[in-house]
Amino acid sequence: MKILKSWLNDWIDIENISNSEISEALESLGFEIENKKELNPNYENIVVGKVLEVYEHPNADKVRITKTDVGNNIYEIVCGAWNFDVGAVVPVALPNSEIKDNFKIEKRDIRGIQSNGMICSAAELDLWDDHDGILLLDEKLLPGTDFSTIYSSNDFIWEIGVTPNRGDCMSYLGIARELSGYFNKKLKNKKSNLKPTIANILNAESGKIKECNSYGSVEIENFNVTNSSFEMRYRLTQVGTRIINNVVDITNYILYDIGQPLHAFDRDKLFGTISVRKANNNEKITTLDSQVRNLDSNDLVITDNDKPIALAGVMGGLETEVSEATTNLLIESAYFDKVSIMKTSRKLNLISDASIRFERGIDYKIQKYGLERFLMELKDNQTINYSEINVDDKGNLKNKKVILKYSEIKKLLGIDLKESFIKKVLKFLMIDSEVNKESVQFTPPSWRYDLDRPVDLIEEFAKHYGFNNFESTLPQGVHKNNKGSYWDLKSYLSSVFTSNNFQEVQTLSFVNNVKNFLFNPEKKYVEVFNAIDQSSKFMRSNLMSSLIDVYKLNYDQNNLSNSYFEINTVFDTSKNKIYEDIPNQNIVLGFLTSSTLSNTDTRLKDQELDLYYVKNILTQLLSSYDLEPITKPGFHQNYSFSIIKNGQIIGHFGQLATETQMTLEFNNEIYLGEIYINKLNLNNLKEINYVPLSQYPFVKFDLSFSVPIDFSAHLLVDEINDLLTDNENSIEIFDDFQQENSRNLGIRIITRSYEKTYDDNETREILMNISQTLESKFNITLNSSKND
Amino acid sequence: MPEVNTDKIFAAFLLRLEEVAQIEDFDDIEKEFLGKNSLLSEERKSLSSLNEVSRKKYGKLLQDLSNNITSKLNEEKTNFKSKFFIQKELNDNKDISIDWYKNLGSKNHVLTNVMNEVVDIFAAIGYTVATGPEAETSWHNFDALNTPDWHPARYESDTLYLDNKLEKLLRTQTSTVQVRHMQNNKPPVYIVAPGRVYRSDQLDATHSPVFHQIEGLAVDENLTFSDLKGTLEYFVKEFFGKDLKTKFIPHFFPFTEPSAEVLVSWKDGEWLEILGCGMVDPNVFKHVGYNTDSQGFAFGVGVERLAMIRYGIDHIKNFYENDLRFLRQF
Repeated sequence: MKILKSWLNDWIDIENISNSEISEALESLGFEIENKKELNPNYENIVVGKVLEVYEHPNADKVRITKTDVGNNIYEIVCGAWNFDVGAVVPVALPNSEIKDNFKIEKRDIRGIQSNGMICSAAELDLWDDHDGILLLDEKLLPGTDFSTIYSSNDFIWEIGVTPNRGDCMSYLGIARELSGYFNKKLKNKKSNLKPTIANILNAESGKIKECNSYGSVEIENFNVTNSSFEMRYRLTQVGTRIINNVVDITNYILYDIGQPLHAFDRDKLFGTISVRKANNNEKITTLDSQVRNLDSNDLVITDNDKPIALAGVMGGLETEVSEATTNLLIESAYFDKVSIMKTSRKLNLISDASIRFERGIDYKIQKYGLERFLMELKDNQTINYSEINVDDKGNLKNKKVILKYSEIKKLLGIDLKESFIKKVLKFLMIDSEVNKESVQFTPPSWRYDLDRPVDLIEEFAKHYGFNNFESTLPQGVHKNNKGSYWDLKSYLSSVFTSNNFQEVQTLSFVNNVKNFLFNPEKKYVEVFNAIDQSSKFMRSNLMSSLIDVYKLNYDQNNLSNSYFEINTVFDTSKNKIYEDIPNQNIVLGFLTSSTLSNTDTRLKDQELDLYYVKNILTQLLSSYDLEPITKPGFHQNYSFSIIKNGQIIGHFGQLATETQMTLEFNNEIYLGEIYINKLNLNNLKEINYVPLSQYPFVKFDLSFSVPIDFSAHLLVDEINDLLTDNENSIEIFDDFQQENSRNLGIRIITRSYEKTYDDNETREILMNISQTLESKFNITLNSSKND
Repeated sequence: MPEVNTDKIFAAFLLRLEEVAQIEDFDDIEKEFLGKNSLLSEERKSLSSLNEVSRKKYGKLLQDLSNNITSKLNEEKTNFKSKFFIQKELNDNKDISIDWYKNLGSKNHVLTNVMNEVVDIFAAIGYTVATGPEAETSWHNFDALNTPDWHPARYESDTLYLDNKLEKLLRTQTSTVQVRHMQNNKPPVYIVAPGRVYRSDQLDATHSPVFHQIEGLAVDENLTFSDLKGTLEYFVKEFFGKDLKTKFIPHFFPFTEPSAEVLVSWKDGEWLEILGCGMVDPNVFKHVGYNTDSQGFAFGVGVERLAMIRYGIDHIKNFYENDLRFLRQF
């Protein structure tokens, strides 16, 4: 909400309080300052002028010539607007003046007539948008008066956030009330004696429903719909409201001023009893914006002889709208139920200044005052007649008494408050209270809905005590530097990937169906009901598609890298095994790399990565695990594997299907996979099995076997490990030579006894044993052996 | 007495040293002057034919010559070697101004770094990381957090729902983890919960449909508003630096009372809000099955906001585009 200093000063005397003090006060009262600025005229050297004569321009039809009294001179000024005549008082930009945006006004020749300045519209002086032409001023103003002195042109404005619990502060009165406590200054009274001169001709009532606690109305006759006052138009413009006419402007003005929404009907379009009821299902009403609204039984309507004429608290009806021809009015000032207004306004997506105030709760005792304020704004209007103010109040609303024990204050805030402080705060919050020795019994005022528990009042005390006046103490938990298993695991996984040149990324969780389908055609995807973007309305079921996008983006950007990983949640609709009622979701580590860097120099050109590189990272990560070939959508037919640890599938990896790679126009092979974080246990991953070092010399064999093409080399390593199980061993494949249908596998064995130095005979025996066992067990042939 | 002129031999030796061009030449010179067939060796053989006095005298002369040659030879050889290696190194010319080895990622995402740092700061005072699901029930995201169906705050958060009954949603705040954690754990509770949250916003410079928060919750005997204040001042000082000023201003959150926002005084004295906090509302304790006279505080901080403030990052979009030009900078 925007707060204009000059307007606020109507309620509380703050003229002499500095803007920074007021800012500080607003902030410490809980109003976040979103913006603040000084207002100064966006013009220079403008005076009030009085038009003395108006006559035709000899050479032009579209402009007229005026003789205008500007105080010490009478100038001939050419003017293109036609909304004024002799006697009009207008703003004049004299020669050598400036209007909006530093536009200079000089004497100038307009078709043979010298124009000594310019008569201005409101828009030209940066006041407000209007299409009427010249800005007409109060006829009592003296010619020559400096225009900037006729209103508070040097002002200050704050844009503040009002939290949803403080509907009472969505008005100048509400803010002034808060500040009056803070600055210990009395609120100014806005009261006047009203003298009704006509009788009501319509009957208005609050209806039978509890959702309308009170319905107030007043009838006004002989009203002239025209512009509202200069000051009102200025103030409304500053707070961001569009200027319409004096009726609408005043209702808006009162809404900002005291927080009571008003609605004006053209009384001549009303016939019988005005009342409030719930709409019937499928009942229709055309609202002010010419839209036909389809209603249901949750909506409240104002009715005239049971016919809906307005959507209560949200928007008026088109049929009974005030127009320029209107002369008689009925002004409504009602209290509607918070929840009901909120539901209607959200459902119809009609959020107005009025609906926001109703849904946060307006003062339930202010309806009559709202109408009085409307009439007070018309006090200079001699022609109108008005009726008694009639308020039909069911009296259902009453704030409850609450008891707050002082011990509760101490317990929550940790401080002792003096009784005098407590009394002072209660007084300036205008809270009805009885202060006792150990407790205070209080009843919140009619505008506060946020004070119905002891803790609510404690908050008020804390606020007025000043949050920054509290001591600071630092409590500590028992288990220090224990981040928990999830965080430790995540950090460990990240460290392994980053130390292998993988860059961590964070991608959005929304994808289109194609991206889910590419890798998880078997799953049902979680769909966002009110998606931001229809093209990505699904929650992702894998991280791999997102990583492909990141790879592609950086590939296209020519950025030097090829390895990415992400740790985030994936979703599908299968049963959630941990939590009932919500979609299945798992935290997954996704990773991707490609065979070459996307942008290389000549030195790094030959640095190609392959599937074995990725496998090595898994080894670093998991130390021991098995791979089992699987067929997985999106993956290469032969290069797709489940990762198995301790008998459990903990992830999968492989090479991106060639077809997909080609579709995406990647020159490189892509290797990618996922690890299911909830299947891992960090202690298990980091387990260390120490092997003692043998003190004896090693013997080393290089063996070469002829094996079938589809042979798994790991079988040999495992078998040799079994054979030499009492020794300290290092067994590695050092060569895999494939040619058409033949394949030679080189295996290097380094072994040490824990008990002795092997002599030549023993060495030969070991070699014989290994080669014979392998040959017979796997039906392979030893080609050569070398022992050194 | 057969006698050679030792001075002449030594002079010849010095002349030969001047001709040395490569390290092997020293071996040749050694052979020539001290080897089996050298003049010196020949003379030594003839010593036996001399009388004792002459033999002693001449023998010493020859020995001195031999020693002189050996020591001079070694000295020259050492000098030559070190000069040789120095010259060899002087001929090596790598242009170190070129970065042949490129920085290939190898970093965590900046948001992860910030989350790690915040977690470390709180772990040091006894907080443990807690997690919870991102697709949640409306009850956990709103009702349990004292934001019933009719509450205006429920509509301010631009929630993304997963069903037409609006019973399931993508959590709009990590406060859901408070609820899950308290449902399953008794006090004392000291947790932080970093994680993703979702809002119905298009990705642009200042909005993102996905962002990260870190929720904190402490429930213990006798925790007061002063404890909340001290905890968050500690955090701000650890994260942004000891000299930074903080202030607490009142705010509203449905699930805390009193509620506050913490502002820090940034460069050029501007106050920036960095987190929201408050004493846990008794209704929240009621919903999770705690005694309603339980006491504690909660806070929530935006991870993107921390990163943007600290590094001066201008677009929230940068976090999620994953352009390496951005990611590598942190």
